[in-house]
Amino acid sequence: MSQALALFPWAAATWLLAIGVYAIVTSRHYVHLIGCLSVVQSSTYVLLLAVGYRRGAGPPIFYTHPPGTPAVDPVVQALVLTDIVIGATVTALLLAIALQLHKTRGTLDPEKLRPMQR
Amino acid sequence: MIGLLPPLPVAGPLAVAGLLLMLSKALPRPLPDVIALLTALGVVLVCIVLAGHAAPQPLVYWFGGWAPDAGRVLGIGFVIDQAGAAIAAFIGLLFAATLVFAWGYYDEVHAHFHVLMLVFMAGMIGFCLTHDLFNMFVWFEVMSVAAFAVTGYALRSSALEGALNFTVVNSIGSYLILGGIGLIYAEAGALDFSALAQGVARAPDSPVTAAAFALVMSGFLIKAAQVPFQFWLADAHAVAPSPVSVIFSGAMVALGVFGAARLSFAVFAPAAPVMRVLHTLLLGMGAASAVLGGVMALMQRHVKRLLAFSTISHVGVMVVGLALPDPAGLSGLFVYLVGHGLVKGALFMVAGILLARCSGIDEVGLRGRGRGIWPAGVAMAAGGLLLAGLPFGLMDEGTRLIGDAAQRVGNIWVVPAITAGAICTGAAVLRVTGRVFLGLGPVPGEEERSPTEREREKSDRPLWLMLLPTALLLLLALGGAEAAGAFAGQAAAAFMHPDTAALLGPGAAVPPSPPVAPAPDPPTTALPWLATGLALAIAAFELTRRRLPGRLVRGFDWVTRPPLDVLRTLHSGRVGDYVAWLAVGVALFALAFAFG
Amino acid sequence: MTRRARLLLCVLAAACLLPACLHVALHMPPFGAHPLPYGEAINALATRQRHVTNMVSAVNFDYRGLDTLGEEFMLLGAVTGTAVLLRGSRGEQLTARPGRVGNRPVAPRSDAVVLICRALAALTVLFGVYVVLHAMTTPGGGFQGGAIIAAATALIFLGEGYRGWRRIMRTGLLDAAEGGGAALYALCGFAAMAAGWPFLHNFLPLGTPRDVFSGGLMQIENAGVGFAVAGGFAVLFVEFLEETRAERDGDGA
Repeated sequence: MSQALALFPWAAATWLLAIGVYAIVTSRHYVHLIGCLSVVQSSTYVLLLAVGYRRGAGPPIFYTHPPGTPAVDPVVQALVLTDIVIGATVTALLLAIALQLHKTRGTLDPEKLRPMQR
Repeated sequence: MIGLLPPLPVAGPLAVAGLLLMLSKALPRPLPDVIALLTALGVVLVCIVLAGHAAPQPLVYWFGGWAPDAGRVLGIGFVIDQAGAAIAAFIGLLFAATLVFAWGYYDEVHAHFHVLMLVFMAGMIGFCLTHDLFNMFVWFEVMSVAAFAVTGYALRSSALEGALNFTVVNSIGSYLILGGIGLIYAEAGALDFSALAQGVARAPDSPVTAAAFALVMSGFLIKAAQVPFQFWLADAHAVAPSPVSVIFSGAMVALGVFGAARLSFAVFAPAAPVMRVLHTLLLGMGAASAVLGGVMALMQRHVKRLLAFSTISHVGVMVVGLALPDPAGLSGLFVYLVGHGLVKGALFMVAGILLARCSGIDEVGLRGRGRGIWPAGVAMAAGGLLLAGLPFGLMDEGTRLIGDAAQRVGNIWVVPAITAGAICTGAAVLRVTGRVFLGLGPVPGEEERSPTEREREKSDRPLWLMLLPTALLLLLALGGAEAAGAFAGQAAAAFMHPDTAALLGPGAAVPPSPPVAPAPDPPTTALPWLATGLALAIAAFELTRRRLPGRLVRGFDWVTRPPLDVLRTLHSGRVGDYVAWLAVGVALFALAFAFG
Repeated sequence: MTRRARLLLCVLAAACLLPACLHVALHMPPFGAHPLPYGEAINALATRQRHVTNMVSAVNFDYRGLDTLGEEFMLLGAVTGTAVLLRGSRGEQLTARPGRVGNRPVAPRSDAVVLICRALAALTVLFGVYVVLHAMTTPGGGFQGGAIIAAATALIFLGEGYRGWRRIMRTGLLDAAEGGGAALYALCGFAAMAAGWPFLHNFLPLGTPRDVFSGGLMQIENAGVGFAVAGGFAVLFVEFLEETRAERDGDGA
């Protein structure tokens, strides 16, 4: 049982990646698609945090606990922080592009948009 | 003194970019141009000095003073070898040329364009110099985000659609890389390349390492636009502003291959199954991309889209160089990367001149309209001949090295593939030259059916200002092939066998893979001349098809039309298709590991 | 390609990838129990070496400070790009009157809304500054605090209405905060070099652990990040909120 549970975080990361990609492939609206891109990205959060997890350990902040108390990995948390910034910036850019596109084309359906007509 | 230089080419442009944005409202018009150009030239200078001092030992610089303590790495290091420094210098040069080309192009948006270009450049250079996996990813993202931002700049609908496809596909690639980083961190517990290589050497057959490799390589191959990840490239490069396309095709795409090479040799080399996949799957992908890019280029009439497909083809040649288990392949990759970047940069500049001077980019619509700017036509013809394989200069040297490597390791079948790709792309560019600058090959009734809405770019720049950087790039691509080959040979040897012990201290050595003794070079053949001749012949056939016997042309079309139509349908411009192919590409890695 | 063909491709890819994922998951290091040499080394050393108690900040601003430099400029690039993309068609002029989207009326604000927003905006900024300042000791830092400060500007929009909000939110000022904050981070690195140390070396006095102003150079870098994030996100708010206004005659570009 505990072994099955140990697989759970990896399964969750894989699932988020798979469902996000599936939703992007079938998406009919760019704003929806941009949301799905965030779902894909969430899988990296889950993976990184699961990698840095340590059973029975506390947060890597030694304000109330003395240094040396078991703590989870701070490096992956720093990586996730960077990851979040990346997600926010890319989402902002994509939404800006989508907004402008909606103004010029009046639709945001990926099936109706293509950069080259021929 | 040299010890102070390593952070400068990255941190310098970033600091300038920040200050430029801060003062953007206060600076009068030519100043941002001047400051950005001087910064780029400074970067070139520093990188050349660094390249000169990177042998016999690479320069090592630990940020924050966090030098490894008893083999344990806590901080981030730059390990500057000859290859990294030389390519960084080339990137700086390409940016300098582009900034001259784009002089005054963007003055209405204050200094924002220059801020983005400087950030873009710093990201690319940090990517070449860093010795830390996550830091590499950060620079990769910096360059990607800057690239996303400048693509849609023109705000035409096709530019915006291209930018969306580009951003979505490349972001997925970034997340795949990040997933790979998470896996390898779980397995090896480090982020520094040398420390990672030690971890990989401890468990060379681990499936987790293999999965990390598959994810990271998929990400880099998406950036490098290799089959079946290639779809986004033509959309993005075709619609981005020309100065931006110069950087995209000249350097950004090739950096995907450079990153793949860096990780393969610095991190994954101790894992035999991974190297096996590198030598088989990537070889196939590279060869397929070389051919597909060439064929697709021949089918285009939008000049920038044509050039974009030719980039896919030539980057495929670089991937072949990486995948061949021979040092000559890698040194060929380096020479080819620089040579192709210079030539393709020059060609995109010619496309930019057409957009500015002739207000169009459709080959058929522009027929004969380039006569007034014939020097641009000369540049384009020279570029086309170099792409096809004319035996002068850097591209030819790179092709020759890669061909030799293929011959030595018994993969001779890739030579026809990369030659065919080169012939097709060269023929396509020569056909455009003939049609636009000489007025050949009329296609009545087709002028109005241009593939995009009417395009033009700001036209008040003097012609010489745009031609100067174009000519400079072409001249650089022609010269010094011998010296570059020798330098790249040295650089490749150091690149393939990074000296872990010297970096992490004694006792930290990874068992080095046995160096391959360089075999004597096979005699040069007439192949390059043959390729150039064939490219000219194909271009002539396309331009004169109305005067050729009808039966011949119809027969030719009957044979080629169905497969070409399939290819055309596949490049649909729909992001859903692209992402589905992306999944297939990742699945190919899984299959290669299962059955390779 | 038809949707069916596309889905077929996905199914094929999934059929290959599913066993591969399972295989990898079964060989992953044991969840929650495998060695983490890098993170453990930092947990063991950072308080002694850098006098801070928040390990994540120690990684972000000191051990791996270069990553954060890149990240700052990634944010700067994205915000600049978004601003260019959104401004492109409309210009940056301040226009006095709010427009309307479709037939939606500009609702008059009640005094209660104005009062609450003014109080909350001030408190939110204060809280943001608090979070920025506590980067070295407790969970907090320039990113989180900067985002909170930027959020306060949305409250100003709600409370003061478009005109008052635009009077406060000068894009030049926000650009300066954003660019200046990011440049400050880079200049910290050069300051270390000028003092004869490697780039980004923490050469300032480190203070005592658990003190708000511990951490030396990290404090300044953290402030730079705070400025850059607050300015950057505020620019994003300005540009996106401007897009909710429909253009009218004489209403800017």
